[in-house]
Amino acid sequence: MIFTIFKKELIDTLRDKRTMRTMLLIPLLVFPITLTLFVNVSSSFEKKASEEKLKIGVWGDLGAKYWNQLEQMPAGLGKKELENFEDSSALKRAIEQGEIQLGLIVPKNEAELTRTKQSIPLTWLFDASSVGRQQRAESYMNFMSNKAEAIRLKELGVDVEKIHPLVPVYQNCASDKKMIGQLAGGFLPYIFIAFGFIGCMYPAIDLFTGEKERGTIETLLTTPVSRWQILVGKMMVVVTSGMLAASCALLGLFVSIEFLDIVQNKEILDIVHGILTPSFIIAMFSLLFPLVVFFAGAMIPIAVYAKSFKEAQSIITPLNFVMVLPAMIGFFPGIELNAMTAAIPVVNIVLSTKELISGTLSVGYYCISLGIMLLLATLSVIVSYRQFGNEARILN
Amino acid sequence: MIKVSHLRKEFELSRQQKKELNTTANKALAVDDLSFECQPGKVFSLLGPNGAGKTTTLRMLSTILSPTSGSIEIAGIDAVKYPQEARSKIGFLTGSTGLYARLTPLEIIDYFAALYQVPTKEKEERKKYLFDLLNMNDFLQKRIGKLSTGMKQKVSICRTMIHNPEVVIFDEPTSGLDVITAENIIKLIRDCKDQGKTVIFSSHIMSEVDLLCDDLAIVHKGQLKYNGQMSDFRQNMEASNLTEEFIRIVQR
Repeated sequence: MIFTIFKKELIDTLRDKRTMRTMLLIPLLVFPITLTLFVNVSSSFEKKASEEKLKIGVWGDLGAKYWNQLEQMPAGLGKKELENFEDSSALKRAIEQGEIQLGLIVPKNEAELTRTKQSIPLTWLFDASSVGRQQRAESYMNFMSNKAEAIRLKELGVDVEKIHPLVPVYQNCASDKKMIGQLAGGFLPYIFIAFGFIGCMYPAIDLFTGEKERGTIETLLTTPVSRWQILVGKMMVVVTSGMLAASCALLGLFVSIEFLDIVQNKEILDIVHGILTPSFIIAMFSLLFPLVVFFAGAMIPIAVYAKSFKEAQSIITPLNFVMVLPAMIGFFPGIELNAMTAAIPVVNIVLSTKELISGTLSVGYYCISLGIMLLLATLSVIVSYRQFGNEARILN
Repeated sequence: MIKVSHLRKEFELSRQQKKELNTTANKALAVDDLSFECQPGKVFSLLGPNGAGKTTTLRMLSTILSPTSGSIEIAGIDAVKYPQEARSKIGFLTGSTGLYARLTPLEIIDYFAALYQVPTKEKEERKKYLFDLLNMNDFLQKRIGKLSTGMKQKVSICRTMIHNPEVVIFDEPTSGLDVITAENIIKLIRDCKDQGKTVIFSSHIMSEVDLLCDDLAIVHKGQLKYNGQMSDFRQNMEASNLTEEFIRIVQR
């Protein structure tokens, strides 16, 4: 009987365009579209910035020295055109008006500072609201600074190694897999939780509040099917929808990585392939399933209580923030899965998935996380059952 | 057969309901000590003005609501103790019944036949009989959302009768329907009576009651004001017509 209800509700749900959009279409397309846009836009910005020919204004009595240095810069540091300025305020104004992109001010006492071997402050003027200007100034400055340093050390007859007695060598012992897990691992459970919630939302409202609103619930309740069977049949559709939405988001992400050249570094791509194994996907779904049941169990009592689709939507939408907010924990570095965090719902799923990606998930914490979520899912089902059995709520 | 004895139903009032009803009471009494019997092969009419407790009574008979006290027997089954068993004997149709707009009539009928656990052979026979009787064959594959009100009403009737129930409950079945569509319902009630089924229907339209019913009960503010045969009701009328007599009894 549960399967009969499940089958009918699933057909009904799959024929609803609004649900189909939120359950399949949006999760499936969101990553290919956003990632393609992001990659294309950022690479075009990078390309534009590197190809941009900057006009550099130089001011100062001894500007010629630096003019020559700038002219000798390697072509790899970007195209440029130099212009001499007689007045520092005119140079500033030209930058403000966008006629000049970078300005170099050489101090008047540059010769004296050079002679007495003191530091020479070189002032770079730029408009920080334009992308890449400061970076270009820094790369020029580094080049000139290294050159000046080498000359001065030579004049002093000092060996570079003598003034740097300690040379730090930082070696990262974490595997690349662990690094990806820690840096990007919070992202995956976040999208899963977000889409799992959205996927549950419309079917939950449609199958409970919608049925009340359309006047079909009364007929269903007069059939010789117990209320718990009706509830379970409907709940299975809500959970399936949440799982489908999350799976579609994962599929969209997989398609983006595999076919849209989002990840161009082959080593990282190999690591990603190594992470996305069937056992990883099974373990992740085992964590996600009780979470989605919990979502469904939290939404159904609201959907049963609400008298209209609008009312249900207005209560469930803010709930989205309450549920999805803890998922942001995954983005904070330093928060790790331990006995305490494994007992915090939603947070435990995020941290467990993060550790799962890194390959460092301990069986004990996995069991605690899973146990807590299963317990919560069971409680939410009980609350749903009680609300669904409440005759004052079930009929409008 | 339906046997109702000392039926009572109280509803807990929410804070909002108390405000709407302008009362401080925690409970509202919808049905107060109702007792009556509906015989097989006869049409029993439950009459009363709006808010009299008709729908609440019929919802208790169909086991959607549980009574606060009292007993209900449906086709020999104690409906309070065994609601699920009682429901398998009942066909329930209301004027406000909705249908699943995204399904076809055929899918809806198959769904309800499965919920009532109608054996396949019997289901096919009932489907053929009802589709022919109600002239439904032309729109079986169309989505409900695209059907006219009359077509939808036929689907509702077919859905109610697919499991060949012993007891049929109609809650204001013609409310909101035009005369031609309402005629399908009138015909269905007559057919049920001819087939020896127990029929109970609620209404506040006296012409319908006059046309169909054998026995009647009048309820007002949850209490039984009259219970007897229609022929006796007509014979003992003090007013000049049925509607005036109904009003006289309610206002007594």
